[in-house]
Amino acid sequence: MSLISAPVPRVRRMTLRRRRQLAGFLFALPAIALVVGFIGVPIGQAVYYSFTQWNGLTSKWIGTSTWTQAFHNSNLWTALQNNALLLLAVPFALGLPLCIAALLHQRVAGWRIFRSIYFLPTAISWVVLGLVAERFFAYQGTLNSIIHALGLSSVTTNMLGYESTALSALGITFVFTMIGTNTMLFLTGLATLDPTLEEAARIDGASRWQIFRSITLPHLSRFIQLAFVMTVIALFSALFSLIFVMTGGGPGYATTTMEFLIYQTGFNQGDFGTAALYGLILFVLTGIVGVVQLRLIGSNE
Amino acid sequence: MTTLLTPPNDTERAEAPAPLSRPAKRKFGRWVLFVVMVAVAVVMLYPFWVMIVTSLKSEAQFLSGGGFSWLSWKSLSATIPIGQEVLSSTIVCSASILIILLVGLPAGFAFSKLRFRTSTAVFLVIVSAMMVPLQAILMPEFVNVTRLGLTGGYAGAVLVYAALGTPFSVFLFTTYFRGVPDELIEAGIVDGLGYVGVMWRLVVPMAVPAIATVTVLQFIQIWDDLLVGLLFIQNTSERPITVGLAVLAAGRTTSIPALMAGSLISALPAMLVYLGFQRYLVKGLTMGIDR
Amino acid sequence: MAEITFDAVTKIFGDDIRAVDELSLHVADGEFMVLVGPSGCGKTTALRMLAGLEDITAGTISIGGAVVNNVLPKDRDVAMVFQNYALYPHMSVERNIGFALKVRGDSKSEVKRKVGEAASILHLNDFLDRRPKALSGGQRQRVAMGRAIVRSPRAFLMDEPLSNLDAKLRVEMRLEIARIQRLLGVATVYVTHDQVEAMTMGDRVAVLRDGKLQQVDTPQDLYDRPANDFVAGFMGSPPMNLIRCHARAGDDRVKIIIGDQTVELPWSYTSSHDLPASGLDVVVGVRPEDVIITDATSPNTLKTRVERREALGAEILVHLSRVDAVADASTNALGARGDLSRPAVLVAKMGPRVKIDVGDVLSVQISPEHAHFFDATTGLTLRRR
Repeated sequence: MSLISAPVPRVRRMTLRRRRQLAGFLFALPAIALVVGFIGVPIGQAVYYSFTQWNGLTSKWIGTSTWTQAFHNSNLWTALQNNALLLLAVPFALGLPLCIAALLHQRVAGWRIFRSIYFLPTAISWVVLGLVAERFFAYQGTLNSIIHALGLSSVTTNMLGYESTALSALGITFVFTMIGTNTMLFLTGLATLDPTLEEAARIDGASRWQIFRSITLPHLSRFIQLAFVMTVIALFSALFSLIFVMTGGGPGYATTTMEFLIYQTGFNQGDFGTAALYGLILFVLTGIVGVVQLRLIGSNE
Repeated sequence: MTTLLTPPNDTERAEAPAPLSRPAKRKFGRWVLFVVMVAVAVVMLYPFWVMIVTSLKSEAQFLSGGGFSWLSWKSLSATIPIGQEVLSSTIVCSASILIILLVGLPAGFAFSKLRFRTSTAVFLVIVSAMMVPLQAILMPEFVNVTRLGLTGGYAGAVLVYAALGTPFSVFLFTTYFRGVPDELIEAGIVDGLGYVGVMWRLVVPMAVPAIATVTVLQFIQIWDDLLVGLLFIQNTSERPITVGLAVLAAGRTTSIPALMAGSLISALPAMLVYLGFQRYLVKGLTMGIDR
Repeated sequence: MAEITFDAVTKIFGDDIRAVDELSLHVADGEFMVLVGPSGCGKTTALRMLAGLEDITAGTISIGGAVVNNVLPKDRDVAMVFQNYALYPHMSVERNIGFALKVRGDSKSEVKRKVGEAASILHLNDFLDRRPKALSGGQRQRVAMGRAIVRSPRAFLMDEPLSNLDAKLRVEMRLEIARIQRLLGVATVYVTHDQVEAMTMGDRVAVLRDGKLQQVDTPQDLYDRPANDFVAGFMGSPPMNLIRCHARAGDDRVKIIIGDQTVELPWSYTSSHDLPASGLDVVVGVRPEDVIITDATSPNTLKTRVERREALGAEILVHLSRVDAVADASTNALGARGDLSRPAVLVAKMGPRVKIDVGDVLSVQISPEHAHFFDATTGLTLRRR
């Protein structure tokens, strides 16, 4: 055995495992930093500032009086109520896309084109959709034109002008905006379903409806779960754009939801502290919905 | 009586009624389906219809009811600083997406292949950040970014967009990379690459569908976003298009046809991006769900 | 100089899973060493430690005389062929093969030349532009080999490269790999669970079980002189018959008591084996080809009954059970094939044209020179080395 060796190989002090773990940590660091810095830290701050009177520049600790004041503020309750009412739109925002996805899944001629068309509105900003919706529901808008054309002139509406109907108009628009994404999601889900399961069931004599209920739906439950969470999150945050453009929160506070209230309280009224508190409430609400749906679907399985 | 081992007698089978002619029934069903889908398509395309029709009027024509004119289009850039705003949107979108990818890809690789001791917990924390509504952190975020001096131009908004988009991209990339066989990475290591080399030269080129998915979805989200652009880009000259349109609309003084024209232009890039990357979208989403 | 040495190498996963237990092995430069054993025996783990893909818990591995425990894979100068080929899907065959060279920094012309050479050896010249997904399994396997040989490494490491191929291709590739290895003269460590591959390809074969080395020898020696009953039963197909019984040595003969039958082997095992006259519980091993079927008048026969018959074309395998025996589970040392009738004790190999039917009663003899004796408790051979 000769002592003349090849160039000395780099000897590492670290084991492979350590080396890999260190690399993993470093690779994940930027993401962690970004998320913690821009999402984690603000949440903590929101908690802190909710106890203060804060105008964005200076803060004065006033303890829980922000909280008590806030809960006495009727606007908060109106906003919460509005959010709750809008939750009624969620079943539609899930059910309609489900039907449409099922239709698309039948692969009727030209279904790919239809799929693209159905998803197209998703690409449009909610601001723009809000503008169009505003035209639709306005007094001189399209809805009324249709009603006139159908000869039901007596039923003309000014949905956005009345407190009682404005929220419904908002809800309908919301459902429309969610159709695109949710349909795509459900379609993906249907595409991942193993066709041999369906065929086996059909051979065993199951009807279309039975197949749908016992095979398709359970497989889709994961997707429905995801769609539900995404829809609710959109309801609690993205809706802002629609409100901003369609109604500005009005008439009165009829269409002011939590997400809009936060903006209003903070930037129009300059009360950052209360706005931070509202933000927290919104966060907790979202969390509750998320947990509830986990339990619900969990118990189903 | 029939048991498992003795086949049933023919006479024991019930009389089945003759079914309706199958092919005809199916064909009729297909046609009904088709009509329904066309109807849905009409509803879906309605906003475009409205935008196109309304924009092809002058303001006067719009208010009075009828008419057709290119006026609103011709004077568009006079009414709305459209070119500038589109440029702003492009800059913001590109910068944000770039950061999201540069941050998300290594993280995805780390969480799927380079596990470290607390990586599962950290991963869950990052992914659950997806559930935080922007408004919940809006106030502190705004104050922080202002204190850092980043609210004038693009920088602040870009960072916020990047932070908001990171959880989803990390989630998607991690899931996608989990499907890459470990052997491939080991082959790269035996061939002489370090982890950085393995990631950029092997794993990322294989992740094109996932990258496309993230790009499309984030592009649509950022381009169409209102709130962040509204608050974090205070220089009116650097305003993105969506914000521009919203502000004008809320003011309720701008010509509606002009707004519709602007809306069409605003809608165009996102639509093109979507149509261009469609194929990858379905593939990428499937990966994300299959966990 | 690229000899490989494992010195008491141990790998422990988690707290208590000993995947490799004090493995000591030496592979000479240019030698083709096969690591064989059932799933979970630690052969792949040992290979991966050699490659540098797993940490070594204890012991040292040396390549070319230098300890490489903490040396990165790329600095060990070894090439690996993976079970699922691990070809880079987004690169052409040419780029796949040349990748390691590129990483190493070889010039473009060098890379092209070497890739061309490797492609010629493996007959891949027509496929250089294709992507892996456009290749058949056998072609992919060859690309994986090409990737390994192009680096002129100090050692080849192969992890069950043939297990994903169909039977016919496997036979072809076996010869190919052996040919190439001989051509290049590089030390090779080859992992497989298939003892046929081990027998036909290896210069020497190391049999592993539960992380421990059982025996390392040339294929023929493993076959003829197994060190314990596990190796005896593992090498060879169909496997060696292993019968638990009691043996007593005399002057010139060994008395074997199987159940209630006694067979005498008129052969002097006593000098070559450690068989006490007082008797010992042993496992007697007889290969199917060494079970001789005679007539009832011959001496020292075992009375058996045909339970099953497998005609393989070139030969017939008969599965025999003991006659006048109560179904005795303990006589069959390593797993009886359960039948609805009686458990078979012996498998005998016969010529293709012998007329034998299920139910026939046969008398069999154990070929005297070809019996193996193993201690029933330890499993170790009783043959004196």
